[in-house]
Amino acid sequence: MKKIILLSSFLGLNMGVLAQEALPIKGDEIFGSMRARHIGPALMSGRITDIEGHPTNNKVLYVGAAGGGVWKTGDGGVTFNPIFEKHTQSIGAVTVDPKNPDQVVWVGTGEIWTRNSVTIGDGIYKTTDGGQNWTNMGLPNSERISSIKVNPNNTNEVFVGVLGALWSDSQDRGVYKTTDGGKTWEKIFYLNPTTGCSDLVMDPKNPSIMYASFWEFRRTAYSFSSGGENSALYKTNDGGKTWNKIHNGFPAGKLGRIAIAAAPSNSNILYSVLESEKDTDKGLYRSDDAGASWKKTNGDFGLVVRPFYFSRIVVDPKNPDIVLKAGLNGSLSRDGGKTFKDIGGGIHADVHDFWFDLHDSNRMYLCDDGGFYRSYDGGSVWDMSKGLPISQFYQVAIDNQTPYKVYGGLQDNGSWIGPSSKPGGIENRDWISVGAGDGFRTFPHPKDPNTVYSEMQGAENIWRINLEKKSAKTIKPFPEANDPKFRFNWNTPITTSLHNADRLYVGSQFLHKSEDRGETWVKISPDLSTNDPAKQQQENSGGLSMDNSGAENHCTIFAINESPLDQNIIWVGTDDGNVQLTQDGGTTWTNVTANIPNLPKNTWAYFIEPSSFDKNTAYAVFTGYTSGDFKPYVYKTTDAGKSWKSIVSPDLKSFVRNIKEDYKNPNLLFLGTEGGLYVTIDGGQNWSQFKNNMPPVAVHWIALHPTEDALIMATHGRGVIIVDDISPLRQLTKEIIGKDLHFFTTKPTKMAESGAFGGYARMGEFVGENPSSMAQIVYFLKSRHTFGKMSLEIFDQNDKKIADLSPGKSKGINYVDWNYSLKPPKVAKGKTLVFGGFQGPTVLPGTYKVKITKGAKTYESSLNLITNPKSIHTADDRKVQFETAMKLFNMSEELGYVVDQIDNYKIKIDSISAKLSSPKLKKQFPVADIANKMQGLKETLVVLKGDNYVGAAEPQLREKISGLYGEVLSYTGRPTNAQLSSMKVLEDKLSDAKSQMDGFKTSLDKIAPAMVKAKISELKVRSFEEFKAAEN
Amino acid sequence: MKKTIKLLFASALTFAATFAQAQTADDIINKYFEVTGGKAKWAEVKSVKMTAKGKQGGMEFPITSLQKAPNLMKQTINFQGKDITISAFDGKEMWKTSFMTMKAEKGEAEDSENAAKSLDFPDPFLDYKTKGYSVALDGEEKVEGTDCYKIKLTKKPVKVDGKEEEDFSYYFFDKENGVLIMNRSVGKKGQMKDVAVETLMSDYQEVNGLFFPFTVSQKINGQVAFTMAMEKLEMNVPIDNKEFAFPID
Repeated sequence: MKKIILLSSFLGLNMGVLAQEALPIKGDEIFGSMRARHIGPALMSGRITDIEGHPTNNKVLYVGAAGGGVWKTGDGGVTFNPIFEKHTQSIGAVTVDPKNPDQVVWVGTGEIWTRNSVTIGDGIYKTTDGGQNWTNMGLPNSERISSIKVNPNNTNEVFVGVLGALWSDSQDRGVYKTTDGGKTWEKIFYLNPTTGCSDLVMDPKNPSIMYASFWEFRRTAYSFSSGGENSALYKTNDGGKTWNKIHNGFPAGKLGRIAIAAAPSNSNILYSVLESEKDTDKGLYRSDDAGASWKKTNGDFGLVVRPFYFSRIVVDPKNPDIVLKAGLNGSLSRDGGKTFKDIGGGIHADVHDFWFDLHDSNRMYLCDDGGFYRSYDGGSVWDMSKGLPISQFYQVAIDNQTPYKVYGGLQDNGSWIGPSSKPGGIENRDWISVGAGDGFRTFPHPKDPNTVYSEMQGAENIWRINLEKKSAKTIKPFPEANDPKFRFNWNTPITTSLHNADRLYVGSQFLHKSEDRGETWVKISPDLSTNDPAKQQQENSGGLSMDNSGAENHCTIFAINESPLDQNIIWVGTDDGNVQLTQDGGTTWTNVTANIPNLPKNTWAYFIEPSSFDKNTAYAVFTGYTSGDFKPYVYKTTDAGKSWKSIVSPDLKSFVRNIKEDYKNPNLLFLGTEGGLYVTIDGGQNWSQFKNNMPPVAVHWIALHPTEDALIMATHGRGVIIVDDISPLRQLTKEIIGKDLHFFTTKPTKMAESGAFGGYARMGEFVGENPSSMAQIVYFLKSRHTFGKMSLEIFDQNDKKIADLSPGKSKGINYVDWNYSLKPPKVAKGKTLVFGGFQGPTVLPGTYKVKITKGAKTYESSLNLITNPKSIHTADDRKVQFETAMKLFNMSEELGYVVDQIDNYKIKIDSISAKLSSPKLKKQFPVADIANKMQGLKETLVVLKGDNYVGAAEPQLREKISGLYGEVLSYTGRPTNAQLSSMKVLEDKLSDAKSQMDGFKTSLDKIAPAMVKAKISELKVRSFEEFKAAEN
Repeated sequence: MKKTIKLLFASALTFAATFAQAQTADDIINKYFEVTGGKAKWAEVKSVKMTAKGKQGGMEFPITSLQKAPNLMKQTINFQGKDITISAFDGKEMWKTSFMTMKAEKGEAEDSENAAKSLDFPDPFLDYKTKGYSVALDGEEKVEGTDCYKIKLTKKPVKVDGKEEEDFSYYFFDKENGVLIMNRSVGKKGQMKDVAVETLMSDYQEVNGLFFPFTVSQKINGQVAFTMAMEKLEMNVPIDNKEFAFPID
C-alpha cells in the first residue's frame, strides 16, 4: 500500500483515485489566495435591466444588469465599479433612498424582461454604507422584483412590486410593504398565482397615491404567454390599503403587460402602454386626470413591439410632454405622446430603460441588450460605455495556440474570439467577431487555427469561418426528401471531435455528423427527443402579441459529447429530458433516462461529460428551471448509463448547467451553477463555492486547458472568467490538509520573453487582466499565519540567496509570485534617479531553491525555470544577454562605489578642514585640493543637477551605463553589436575613472602616516563590500 | 521573544474560550487591547519609529516611518540613496516629495483638513468615544480563511471634492485570538473612488510588552499591491516636531 501511495504521488495522482475519501475542508480553507481573473470583454457589453440615478448628484448612476450585478458610476458614466459582488447577479430594480442617497440603496433581484434566457433572483437587498456591504432583507421567493418605491417622507416605509415566478404559479407575487426599513414585510395587494406586479409607481408629489400594473404571464421551455383576464392597472389613494382598477378609456377584454409612468413635473399626467386583444387597441394611452380617464395617443410599431421585453416609459423630470419609450430602437415624443421618433443613433437594439439628467434633459442615458449609453443632444446620437464587462456568454471553447484563445457566443451579441493574454492587458479591440445575431456554440477547428465554427439562434445559420481569408460559409444540415422538418434549439448544439479534426456534430431532433468540416452531413440517429407534439407549437407562442422568435423551439437535442476515449461512444441530451447513448457510432441508440433516480420527468438534459479516465463513466447535469424547479441535478454513471448516482451535496444552492471533469484527478470536478462556480475535490461528496474574485454569476460552460491547467468559464453576465492554475487542487489529500505547510508540485515556469507594445485603452475602457507571467510558489497552510516571523527566500544553485519574497499567509492554498530577477544594482548617488537602478537582471533557466521560515521551522522546496519552447532566442543568445547585463550591473556598482568614496572623502576632509587652517599644514596636507579634484571627477560620473523630467541634465557616465543596462535587460535575446561595442567604450571610461580615483587615493595614502603623526585623523572610507551591504 | 508569543497564544486560547458569549463591539475591542498588551500600555505610547522593507511591483526599498501623538506622521522611502517622503502630516498640512523635482509639495487643502480629523495615534480604537468616533459590530466575515468579527468604525465626517461625507471603514478581528487582521476601506476620490483597499496585518511580534503586526500588506481587488515588513520598531523615542514639518530649501 505504501508503495502505491508513493507511486501515485510520484505520478502527481491523488490517492483519492483509489480511495475516494471524503476531504473535510471547504471553501476558503481550500482556495486560499487562488483567484479568478476577468477578461470581459466589454466591447459588446451585455443586457441591462435598470438604470437609476441619485436624487441630487447627477454624476452618480447605478446600473442593474440582467446577469452581471450592480455597477455604480460617480462620474456620469465614464467609469464603473461593480458593487454587488457577493450576491445574485440578476437584477430587476435598483432604487436610491431619497433622504440618504449616499448610503442607502435598495436592489431587487431577478430580471423582469422575461425572455427565454433570464435567470432568477433571491429577494431584496439593502446597503446602508453606499454599497460596500449588502444585506438580504427578505422576499426570498420573489424570483423577480419589478420595482421598489421609498416614501420620501418616511424612508423606513418601502413598497415593492413583485412580478414573481416566470415558469410556475406563485403566491409570492404582488405588492409588499415594510414600515421598518425592510426588517418585516406585509403583502398588501395580491391577485392570484399567475399574475404579478410588473410595475409600481409612486405619485411624485403624494406618496399615498400609487399605481400598480399587474401582468398575467407564463413561460415554459416550449411556450410563452402574455396576457389574460387578470392583467390590469390599479391605483391606491390611501398608501396601499385599497386598490381600484383605473381602466376608463382602456379597451375591453384581455390585457397583457402594462407599462405605467407619472410625469414628475405634473403628477396628474400619466402614460401607460397597453398590450391588448385587438392590434388596433395596442399602444400608448395618456391620462391628464391622474388615471380617472385615458385616451390612446399612439400605436406605432415602437410603442407596441414585444411588450414583455420593452414595457417601460420614462417622462422628462421637467417637461411632462417629453416621453421616452423602451423598444426595439427606443422612441421619443416631444408632444405628450402624440408622435414619436426612433432614437437609435448608434445604439444596440432592444432598449430597456432610460434616465434623464437632473439638470439638463437633453442629457440622457439608456440601457439595452448591448450595454449602457449616453446622449448629450436629446437622444439623437449615443455614445457607449466601454467599461461594463457584463457580456452574457452561452459557451466557451479554447484552442491550443500560445497564448491560447477563447471562443464563445453571447446573448444578442454574436460570437467572438479573444486572446487569453496580451501585452498591456486584454482590450476590447483585441476581440474578433465571428458571428451575427445571438451567438452560442463557437468552436475552433482542433488542428487548423484559421477555421472556426459558429452559429446564430435556432441554427438559422451555422458558419464555417476562414479567419485568414475572412470568409464565412453557411454549412447547416438540410432535411432530405423523406425527412421531417428539423427542429433546432435556440441554443443549437455543435461540437467538434477529439478523434477526427474535420468532424463536426450538430443536433436537431436528430444527430447530424459531418466528416468534412460541414460540407456533407449524415443523420446518425433517429429522433432522440420525446417528439411530443404538444411541445412543438412555438409558432403560436407569445399570448396577446405573437412572439415567434424560435426561442421556444422544443423537443430538440441540446447536448452532444463524444467520449475522448472512444469515438463510437456519443452521449446526447435533449431539452425534453432524454439521455441517449450510442456505443457504435450511431448505429444503435439506448435511451438511459429511466435509469436515473429521483429525476423529475422531462428535466432538461443540459450537459453530459464523458469521462477521460473510463469510457463507461460519464457525468450528466439537468435543469428543471423551465418548470420552476431550481434544484441541482448532477449524476454520475460508471456503467455506461445503466445506473446513475446523484453527486449533489447540500452545499449546492442553485441549479446546474455544466460540469467538467479534471484531466488528471477524476475526483476533481467543476460545476457551473446558476450561482457561480463550485468545486469538489472528493468526487462530489463535498462541494465548495469558489468566491475569490468570482461573483455568484451564472456559469453556462466550463473549459479546462489540458496543458496550462487553466479553467475557463463562460459566464452569463460577467464575460469570460479564468482561474489560471487549478493544478494544486489535484494534489490535495487528507494527509496534506493535515500538514502545517505543504509545497505543491508546480509545472516548470516558461520564462516570459520580452514583449512587444500593447495597452492603449483609455479611461473608462475595460481591460482584461493578464495571467501572471511569473514563477509561482504554491503551498498549503493549515491555518493563517498571524503571529511571529515568516519569510520566503529563493536561493540559486550555489545556495546563494537571490530574492526575498513576501509569503502569502492565508489559510488554504497560497500563490506567491517571483519575477525571477536578481535585486537591482546599487547605483551611484546623484541628483536624479536612473531607471536601471530599479531593475535586476533576469536569472538563467534552472532549478532554484525555495525556503520558507515560519517561526522556528523551515520548509524547503524548489522551482524550475525553463525557456519558452517557442522562444526565438538560443541558449547562447541568452547567455550573452545575461553576461552583458551582469557586466553592466557590476559596472553600475563599481561606479557607485567610486562616487561613494568621493562623497565620503569629502565628508572626512570637510570635518578636518578646521585643523588644517595654517598655510603650512595646507601645503603639507593638500587634502582640500584633492577633494576638489575628486569633485571634478564626480561631475563627469553622475548628473548633479536638473530633475527627473524635462529639466534633466546631460547624461554622465552613470546615466550612460544605466541606460545601456536597461536596454540590454529589456530584450531577452542577444544584445546588438552596437550595444556590445558601446559597453566597451563605457568600460574604458569607467576604468579611467577608477584609475583617477586610485591616483587620488595613492596621494592620500602617501600623506596618511604624516597626518596620523600630526594627530589629524586618518582619512578612511568604507570598503566596496561595506558599500554594497549598506542600505544607503 | 518566543516566550511572549507562547503567552500571547495562551491568552488567545483562553480568550477564545471566554469569548464565545461576548458579542458587543466594545467586548471585541477590549479583548483586542487586552491580548495586544493592555489599554493602559497602549495609552503610554507617544511615538513610534519604524524601519522596514517595502515591496511593490518587484521592487524592494527601505522605508522609515515616524509617528507621534496626536497625529503627526511621515513615511519616507529611499531610492538610489535619495530620501523620498511619500506621505507626511505636520498636524496641519499634508505634504510629499515630487518624483519629478525631488522637492516637497503640499497636498490639497481638503486632504490636509481631512487628515487633521481622521489621523490618530497610536490606535483609532483607543478612547474612540472621546475622539468622537462610533463603533458597531457588523456581523462576521472570513478573512484569509479565518473567521473574523467585523467592526465598523465611523470617524468624524470628511470632505470629498468639497462635499461632506461620512468617514468609516471596517476592521476584522480574528475570532480565535482577538487580534486585528484586516482593515477594509474604500477610496473616496480620484481613480481610487469606490475601490476597496484591504490592509492585512500579520507577523505580530512583541515590543516593550505591546504586540505590533510586523508585516502589513495592501490588497487591491484581492491582489497584493504593497507589502511592508518591519525590521525595527522603537517606541517612545524622542522625535522633534521639525521632522514632520514641510521642508523649506
